[in-house]
Amino acid sequence: MEQDGLWYKDAIIYQVHVRTFFDSNADGIGDFQGLAQKMDYLQELGINTIWLMPFFPSPLRDDGYDISDYRSVHPSYGTLDDFKRFLSDAHQRGIRVIIELVLNHTSDQHPWFMESRSSPDNPRRDWYVWSDTDTRYRGVRIIFLDTEMSNWAWDPISKAYYWHRFFSHQPDLNYDNPAVREEMWDVMKFWLNFGVDGFRLDAVPYLVEREGTSCENLPETHAVIKELRGKLDKEFPGKLLLAEANQWPADLRPYFGNGDEFHMAFHFPLMPRMFMALKLEDRKPITEILQQTPEIPPSCQWCLFLRNHDELTLEMVTDMERDYMYDVFAGNKAMRLNLGIRRRLAPLLDNDRRRIELMNGMLMSMPGTPIIYYGDEIGMGDNIFLGDRNGVRTPMQWNGGWNAGFSTADPEGLYSPLILNPVYGYQSINVLSQRRFEHSLLSWMQRMIRVRRSIPAFGRGTIEFLYPANHRVLAYVRQLGGETILVVNNLSSSAQAVELDLRRFKGNILIELFGRNIFPRAGDLPYLLTMGPYQFYWFRLRRI
Amino acid sequence: MRDLIVNELSLAYHEFARELARLLPRLIGMVIVVIMGWLIAYVLKAIVRSIMRLARFERLSDNAGTSQLLNRAALPSSTELLSRFVFWVAFLGFILLGVNVLGIVGLQEYVARFFLFLPRLFVALFVIFFGVLAASFFSRAALLAAVNADLPSARLLSNSIRFVIIIFVVSMAFEELGIAEQTILVAFGILFGALMLGLSLAFGLGGKELAHDFLERRLAHRKKEEREDELSPL
Amino acid sequence: MADESVLTDEFLRQLINVGEVDILVGLPTHNNAKTVGPVVQAIQAGLLRNFPRERAVILNADGGSRDGTSELIAAAAISDVRHMANVRALRTLPCISAQYAGTPETGLALRTILAAAELLRARACAVISPESVNPEPAWVERLLRPIYSDQADFVTPMYRRHKFEGLLMRNLLYPMTRAIYGKRVREPYASEFGFSGGLATQFLKQDVWNHEVGRTGAEMLLTLVSLASGCRVHQTFLGTKAHVERSARDLVPAMRQTVGTLFWSLDTYYPGWSTVVQSQPISTVGCEHDTTLEPVRVNRKRMYDMFRSGVGELSPVFSSILSEPTLAELQKIASQPEDDFRYPAELWVKTAYEFAASYHKSPISRDHIIQALAPLYRGRMFTFLLETKDASAEEVESEVESLCQEFERLKPYLLNNWNSGK
Repeated sequence: MEQDGLWYKDAIIYQVHVRTFFDSNADGIGDFQGLAQKMDYLQELGINTIWLMPFFPSPLRDDGYDISDYRSVHPSYGTLDDFKRFLSDAHQRGIRVIIELVLNHTSDQHPWFMESRSSPDNPRRDWYVWSDTDTRYRGVRIIFLDTEMSNWAWDPISKAYYWHRFFSHQPDLNYDNPAVREEMWDVMKFWLNFGVDGFRLDAVPYLVEREGTSCENLPETHAVIKELRGKLDKEFPGKLLLAEANQWPADLRPYFGNGDEFHMAFHFPLMPRMFMALKLEDRKPITEILQQTPEIPPSCQWCLFLRNHDELTLEMVTDMERDYMYDVFAGNKAMRLNLGIRRRLAPLLDNDRRRIELMNGMLMSMPGTPIIYYGDEIGMGDNIFLGDRNGVRTPMQWNGGWNAGFSTADPEGLYSPLILNPVYGYQSINVLSQRRFEHSLLSWMQRMIRVRRSIPAFGRGTIEFLYPANHRVLAYVRQLGGETILVVNNLSSSAQAVELDLRRFKGNILIELFGRNIFPRAGDLPYLLTMGPYQFYWFRLRRI
Repeated sequence: MRDLIVNELSLAYHEFARELARLLPRLIGMVIVVIMGWLIAYVLKAIVRSIMRLARFERLSDNAGTSQLLNRAALPSSTELLSRFVFWVAFLGFILLGVNVLGIVGLQEYVARFFLFLPRLFVALFVIFFGVLAASFFSRAALLAAVNADLPSARLLSNSIRFVIIIFVVSMAFEELGIAEQTILVAFGILFGALMLGLSLAFGLGGKELAHDFLERRLAHRKKEEREDELSPL
Repeated sequence: MADESVLTDEFLRQLINVGEVDILVGLPTHNNAKTVGPVVQAIQAGLLRNFPRERAVILNADGGSRDGTSELIAAAAISDVRHMANVRALRTLPCISAQYAGTPETGLALRTILAAAELLRARACAVISPESVNPEPAWVERLLRPIYSDQADFVTPMYRRHKFEGLLMRNLLYPMTRAIYGKRVREPYASEFGFSGGLATQFLKQDVWNHEVGRTGAEMLLTLVSLASGCRVHQTFLGTKAHVERSARDLVPAMRQTVGTLFWSLDTYYPGWSTVVQSQPISTVGCEHDTTLEPVRVNRKRMYDMFRSGVGELSPVFSSILSEPTLAELQKIASQPEDDFRYPAELWVKTAYEFAASYHKSPISRDHIIQALAPLYRGRMFTFLLETKDASAEEVESEVESLCQEFERLKPYLLNNWNSGK
């Protein structure tokens, strides 16, 4: 693998859980050997980075985010050797691999916690946050509102309360303890030594607690990160740290430090606003959040995504906006969870091909590294009747046959039911049928990714918004060096006419990037574009 | 000698009879023309009357106030009057045509002159009619405006405007007809000039206070007593 | 279809950029910079509070202001171009301001607003006067909600007024419109009102815009067209009527705009109103007759004098308009001294109806007929002021109500006069 220090700026990330992808041993659960068999598909799709969701041993009460062993692979998914083989195969194809590391908490089944709780004198006692009362850190918000009543849980074994920001079976580690920090660095080294290319660090804002604060984003937490990053840069240069921190952009900025903390962070507030802008048919939500997004150090990068394994979170919007989003996207209350909406991309957009294309187009052209959630490239649907967020974590649909080609096990024995309805079911939405047709969503995504990868300006360039008078059109210019790309998106369900002020680019010919046809030259007069519903243009501006 | 007289007389008689015989066809022609003329004039009158009715001429003349005038003079309505006028003009025209047919040379010239005169007559009548209409309209407008603006002697103002316009119009008509052109012109000029001069003297000298008040009311702040009356009607 | 010649190219471009809307609020302006600022802020607040999810636009039809009126209105726009610190809005709120072609006239401004409403396919629209003195955000809700929820097609306002204000409305326009068109609309001449998009299309189709009445009396005409075409008309209470600085001298222009328009409409809509027998109340939100009673000085003597001089000087004009008995009555009461003078309701009703019938037949110019009514109205105003000098709000209301009943009772008189030759 070529060593490019800023490779993550050109990455197209594919987010997948090994459990959902492909089952090679007919036990109904996807595994690493299965994933390795599907690398052709991923290479053909055009992505160059895989983000693996947690696969460490775990009681699986939170889909693997409750970890009971940091240095192994859950037996359902295979062995450590399976993982190593998969990793080297990926690297041979030029695909990097990022894995998840849950720093903030472990499962209550983890040996560390078992020891910690056994007695107050245990050497690992101080690895977790214990208290005799549940009144410390009063007023700190509860994250899983639908299931938890408090951030303290009573442990009958040690007769004390332990702190947990997430589920009560996920006690928080105590990062004030240097032993904990040392251990976690060791865990990271373990995986880095295999060749893993980076870590997504889960739930980073909550590492450290202090009385009288919100216990989020504390300076002490940043100190921990800086320490980890320092060690990483020294011993494993070119490896990535990606932050999962669901915060307002201004509060996210500190996680980049001065280029000495995280390399990348998710831009959480942008994502719901893209959906909102589409429904309102008004670009205002998008432009406003990006105007409020602070500058980040030149080596850092935002991570953009449309959907992920969690609910579409509405934490970072106003109450009025949240009510609106609930009413238009999640009329059925069963779709709502924890201040979010648990639906996949295609159902959120009413399975409208044009809207799906537009959203993906915006994802690929806005400043940041795009992430594709597995299954969204073929337009998979969801199952809101499965509990928690499992509705968006159903098996990958490979073909219209037995178990959608995911596994040869009994259908009743799969880790999750398949999607069966006539619209989104595996008989209609699957990789095999979409590969046969040039006009399928999959084929379109492949072309789109190809174009995106051919233009470095998207990943590394600057962004400048044009503000045409027609507020239904979102238009911006990406520039890197001598390359200038004009992106125009029609957010409206009806045809629109828009006039753009391209006087700065006077004399440039516009070349549309997908068909490579030339469009009229930019001049002094307003540049008129007429656009169909949900249509978008990518133009290269070329002066000849 | 008797035979001579009888001979001359019979010669003269024959001469006369011959002349008469020569004249007779023309006379008959004239009678025919006159009769036809009467018929045509009658038809014309009927046509004019229906046109007038269609154009609601009656209302126009009501508007002009001519109906009232005619009523008071115990004359028939203006439509009737106009149609009868048309009848007589047409009839007269045809009579003259008939006379023309007779071939009496001296008369022909007069006939020609009559026909030349006709258009000017119509124009004059036209001018007078619309002048009266305009006079009535403007005098009424002035009356209403004056009453609503609470100006004193509104009637006087209205009537003077009517008077001035009528005089003006009649002068124009007379000029058109060519009757005493210069006299009318000069008289009108003198009258109008005197009127204007008188008005300016009166207004300027005698009405100084009034003018002052008037202008003050219009341009400067209004006095408190008047402000009491400022209720918005809507 | 909207007449394109009303809309300039520049305006059309702005409309294209706004696109389809659910709500349109129109402001006809001409040099209103002193008062329009709070009005447009109130509209913006009202829209954000009551219609936060709807696509809305504030549209200013300007007759060529030179005092910055248009800029003030454009400042209320909410968009991503300018950062507005305290405003939380889901959507862009465009505020477009465009000049209509022609001389400044409310009729043209209204026509521009109607054309824009049709082109933008607005569902509910409102027009608000830029001269309002205490604009409230709630006005937007009150004028638009009945239309937006599809219960009404046209919404007229009601105001809190001093008992001596708006006498033309209470003594002539309200009772006569009520008797003729059969609906108890308190303010048929409204400078603030709401209407549906469908009604806008209907208004534009009327062949009135090229007449004089379409330019000067457009507000009144819209109400009358709605009544005549059987639309659902509601009325809603807005608040205190703005005290516009208008002197009594402006009576004649006011009468032209209102009474002239009313009389004109009788010709066009005769088949409809001639068959209406009784008036019906209309759906009303809020208090119908809120009157304030603070003491105000009025110059009654002047009214009496003008009435007398009017009757005296204008008798040749009146003899073309009124019937002989009515004229004789008028001359009789004009001869009474001020203390005994009274213009009884029945005589006033007959006067009004005869004027209306005469307008229809137009023995003299129609504008002159309207002007001739002014002195007679002054006499009636005198009587009304005298009778309600010490009256309470309820007593004033019952006076107005009995006048309305008189108008309704004598409607056959109007019909007789209408059809007879004179």
